[in-house]
Amino acid sequence: MKKLAVLITSPPCSNLSVTALDYIETALKTGIELVGVFFYQDGVLHANKQVVIASDEFQAVNHWKTLQQTYQLPLFLCVTAAEKRGLSDEQPENINAIFTVAGLGELVELTNKADRLVQF
Amino acid sequence: MTNLSIKEKSIKEKSVIEKPIIEKEKTLAIINSKAPYSNIAGKDALDIALIFASFEQAPALFFQGDGVWQLIADQNGSLISVKDYLKTFAAFEFYDIEDIYVCQESLNARNLSASFHIEKVQMLSKQAFAQQLATYNSILRF
Repeated sequence: MKKLAVLITSPPCSNLSVTALDYIETALKTGIELVGVFFYQDGVLHANKQVVIASDEFQAVNHWKTLQQTYQLPLFLCVTAAEKRGLSDEQPENINAIFTVAGLGELVELTNKADRLVQF
Repeated sequence: MTNLSIKEKSIKEKSVIEKPIIEKEKTLAIINSKAPYSNIAGKDALDIALIFASFEQAPALFFQGDGVWQLIADQNGSLISVKDYLKTFAAFEFYDIEDIYVCQESLNARNLSASFHIEKVQMLSKQAFAQQLATYNSILRF
């Protein structure tokens, strides 16, 4: 069984979110094991509960939630990148609970577990 | 030595203690494609490079496009109030980051000479650059 890890560096308002979610969902449905998704740079904004996207636009966070709950997909948030963008685990009410706050070491581990690492 | 926050370090150390075994080594290439002081992409890439290196998995660094500016000597970010993360490149040797490649065409297109602020930078033609890049398991781009 092939294993995949994904690095998200683009923000929720980027159309790359749609591509990334489509890619991940297709991989999961195909039976590819997703070892985890790591959010870095502006990608950490996916976890910001204060981000509101107009209701007639793509709601990336709803899709992350569905994937996380359906497939127990681990979603890791880089703590340094998050804090730089106003997301602190000292104020957890700002961070969507489906995300796990982690260090960059987690990315090293995901990279090693996976056969392929894809960045969006 | 690194510029990581204390919290990052503590999380990293914790993860080292809890999960000491990283089974198999994968090779990683990091492409730097952005100029150093207009955004923090270069610093973000540097943080990733140093973390992988501290897990004894030193990545290869590729500089291409405006990213070649990150290697050019005698720049001073403090003049524009930007933290000079390029200084940390001097620590690459300590971290065993030894594979550093720069695209010759990108330098030429910017009329830059090969006066870099670190040693061991290898200049490659566009084709050789692409071929070298293709030898890694994973590629990240910043």
